[in-house]
Order: sequence, then structure tokens, then C-alpha cells
Amino acid sequence: MRIVLDRPRCEGHGLCEEAAPALMHLDDEGELVLDREEFDESDGTDAAAVTLARAAVRVCPVAALRLT
Amino acid sequence: MRIIHLMDVVRATSLTDMSTPPGTSPATPSGAPSGTPPVSDVDLFADDVLVDPYPVYTELRERGPVVRLPRNDVYALTRYDVIRAALADWESFSSTSIAFNPMANQALTGTSLASDPPVHTRLRATLTENLSPRALRGLKGRIEAKADALVADLVEKGSFEAVDALARAFPLEVVADLIGFTGHVRDNMLRWGQAAMQVLGPMNHRTAESFPIAGELYAWCSEVRAADLAEGSVGRGIFDAEARGAVPPGTAGHIIHQYLGAGVDTTIAAIGNIVALFAAHPDQLHLVRRDPSLVPAAFNEALRYWAPVHAWGRRVTRDVEIEGTVIPAGAQVAVLFGAGNHDPGHYEDPDTFLVPRNPVDHLSFGYGPHGCAGQGLARMEAHAVIGALSRRVERLVVGPEVRVPSNTTRSIEELPVLEVIPA
Repeated sequence: MRIVLDRPRCEGHGLCEEAAPALMHLDDEGELVLDREEFDESDGTDAAAVTLARAAVRVCPVAALRLT
Repeated sequence: MRIIHLMDVVRATSLTDMSTPPGTSPATPSGAPSGTPPVSDVDLFADDVLVDPYPVYTELRERGPVVRLPRNDVYALTRYDVIRAALADWESFSSTSIAFNPMANQALTGTSLASDPPVHTRLRATLTENLSPRALRGLKGRIEAKADALVADLVEKGSFEAVDALARAFPLEVVADLIGFTGHVRDNMLRWGQAAMQVLGPMNHRTAESFPIAGELYAWCSEVRAADLAEGSVGRGIFDAEARGAVPPGTAGHIIHQYLGAGVDTTIAAIGNIVALFAAHPDQLHLVRRDPSLVPAAFNEALRYWAPVHAWGRRVTRDVEIEGTVIPAGAQVAVLFGAGNHDPGHYEDPDTFLVPRNPVDHLSFGYGPHGCAGQGLARMEAHAVIGALSRRVERLVVGPEVRVPSNTTRSIEELPVLEVIPA
């Protein structure tokens, strides 16, 4: 599983960072940086990260994030 | 005990973009005629419904996720999942009909509000260039200081009319300074902003009376020049962007029109609601006082509990099937944010105001490509007000709130604060 960012659509609202600070952050310019993009759903140790990734995608107010 | 006159300020605000993806269609529920949504004789824009729409929202939501309303000639979307999906699906739910009368839709042609991708994508980028959280980062401290000074002054006074003195005063000052308005424009912001929302309703007397006022705003925005706006303001920055070719020629005035048309009346509604809800629920204010990290949660819950925008339009571009019923191609849709926000299928105990639930996924800013473009500024303003109130106020004793019907924005018209128990 992979988080995909639609860069032009991202406006830097930052709700994803609040939901999943371990996976992404806004840099000093307010641009979103994905610190982790790939997840292994079959790997139990990734379960927490997968949950966070889903939460981050869900809260984006402009639907700039998706999971593939 | 406070009496609530549920006379709503009926401002017709259409703030949301809704493109709902119809999603897949489960089997038709037994008993319903196959393919035909249930019908209701509700008039969404009747005075009593505009003042307090929530009983009607419950009735419609229980009838089905889509309900046809012949009196408004619309298909209403009533449940959370259906609304959120529609807002994301711009291909099926076009924004070319966000208003409920053809004149307003015509007037909005060519704005990001009323266009679909790919044109929308470019217009939206232009609009948000100076409005995104990224662009506004530098304003946070100033906005917080303004809110704190205003709230401190009101607490000192001990009693005040919260809508004029806070809910209107604060966003008007923030937006005026942001855009760089001076002189008579500043004095007109409130009535222009209210009229811009009101005219999105059906062609009733409120819409008809508001068109000339909305026209004043439009005329001013067509003629405004860089020199009319304060130096160093965001408004002046938009003209600078136009001058260097970053914004298409002739669009600066239209961008300012949208800032004012969409950003004033709705924020006023939200801030008035915050004061009323904290007054009615001192226990919830207490939670924020004890834990300031709940400030954003308090704003999310206030927006969920009382949506500032009543109904927002979409037009379906094809036959859209939703849970076994069909909205026919070309039909006008009314997205009912408040109905979705109180859907017990999505929020437990939806009619209770509970800050800690922190409903980050509420529908009041819309969602997706047309999600409220000014939500970053709105958050900054509301968080500043909630922060100041929670630091300085222990409890508010209020008199009856007054609401008057308005087509789009649902807000409080008057809210007397009789006594402030300071922190």
C-alpha cells in the first residue's frame, strides 16, 4: 500500500500531519513532506502505520491524499 | 436557564461544494418504488425551517439518503456518507449550479466556486495562492493578539451583545485588514457579505431584496484598483501578482469578491455559534479551559453541531444511482451539510454538543476539490477566539438568542451576554 499526494491540490492545511505525525510533516515553507509512503499490509508490525495512513487520508479537507 | 428563540438568521450561504460520488447502488430497499427516491413536501427555504432546520433534517434523513423535494425542485442529500461521496465526485455532481436560482448561477460563471475541473483547478490555485494556510502563516500572531485584546475588553465590560461586538467585529476587522479595505468599503462589508450569501437561495423575497446589494459589491470589485487597498495587505498582493502575470489579467477584483462574499458571513455565523454553545454548555467550556489542546476540537464540534451553511447546490451530470434510487441527469441537488453532520449512522449521539469527540471529518467546510478555500483563515480566527474565551472566561450568562430566516447562512442575529464570570 502506498500514500499518494496530489501535490497541486495540497494547500497545506496540515490536518494530515496532526493525524499522522510519524508519517508526514509540513516543512518550513508549509509544503507537505511524506516521511513514509510505502506500507506492507501483510506485515503485522506495519498495522499501526497503516491505521495512521488511513486516518491522514481521511482528514485531508481537499482530498489531496489517497491510498493505492 | 436560557431561553432560545430559534429564529434563525436566515442567510442563505452556499459555501460548500458538493460533488458527491453516488457510489455503488445497493439493492433497492423493500417497499420503495424501484429507482424513485422518496418524496417530501418540505420547503427547505420556509422561514421556520431556516430558523431551525434540524427537525426537518431528521425527518428527511430517516426518509432516505436522497429525498425529492418538489416544492424546491431539488433532490436533497441527507446522510453523511452520501454527502461526502457527492462532494468528492465532481464529475457526477457539477458545481455549475451551486445556487438555487439561475441568475445567481449565471453571475457566478467563471469563478472557481461554480466551475468544474480542469478549469476549476487553475482558478482555485489562483484563489488560494494568497489564502492557503501556507500563505497566511505569518498572520497567526497578529490574529491571536487581536482576538485576545477584543475578548479582554468585553470581559472587562461585563455585558455586551455578542454578535455585533465579537462575532461580527472580529472577522470584519481581520478580513478588512487582510484585504486592505479602507473607508466606505469597510462600512459595507457586513451587508455586502450577507447579501452575497442570501442571493444563492431560490428566487424568494430575500433573494430579490439582496440582489441589488450583492450588485454593489460586484460593481465595487469590478472597479477596485491596487491603490484603493492598503499597502502591504494581501489584497494589494493579489494586484501585484496580477501585474507580474502570476494571476490572469482582470481577475484580482474577482478574487477579492470571493474573499468577501464567502468569507465574512460564514465566519460570523461560526463565531456567534461558538459563544452561544459555550454559554449553553459551560461544562464543555470548562474542558477547554482545563486542556487548551482541545481548542481545535471545540471548533470542529461547533461547526458540526451547527453548520454555518444550510444548503449548497450541485447539478448531476448523468443519472446517479444512490442506494437503489436514481437522481436523473440534469437534476438540481441540495446538499444538506447539517443533516449529514447529525447523521447517527456516522456520529454517535449526534444531537449532543461534545467537544472531546473532535469531529475532524465534519461536513461544514464541504470536502474535496471545492472544500472551503478559506478554511485555513477561518480556523485561525476561530481558534484565536476560542483560545481567548477559554483563558479569560469562566462562564457566560446569556439572554435569549434571536435568529432570523436567511437563505444560505444560518447564524444568530443577536445574543445578549448579560454577565461574564471571568476566569
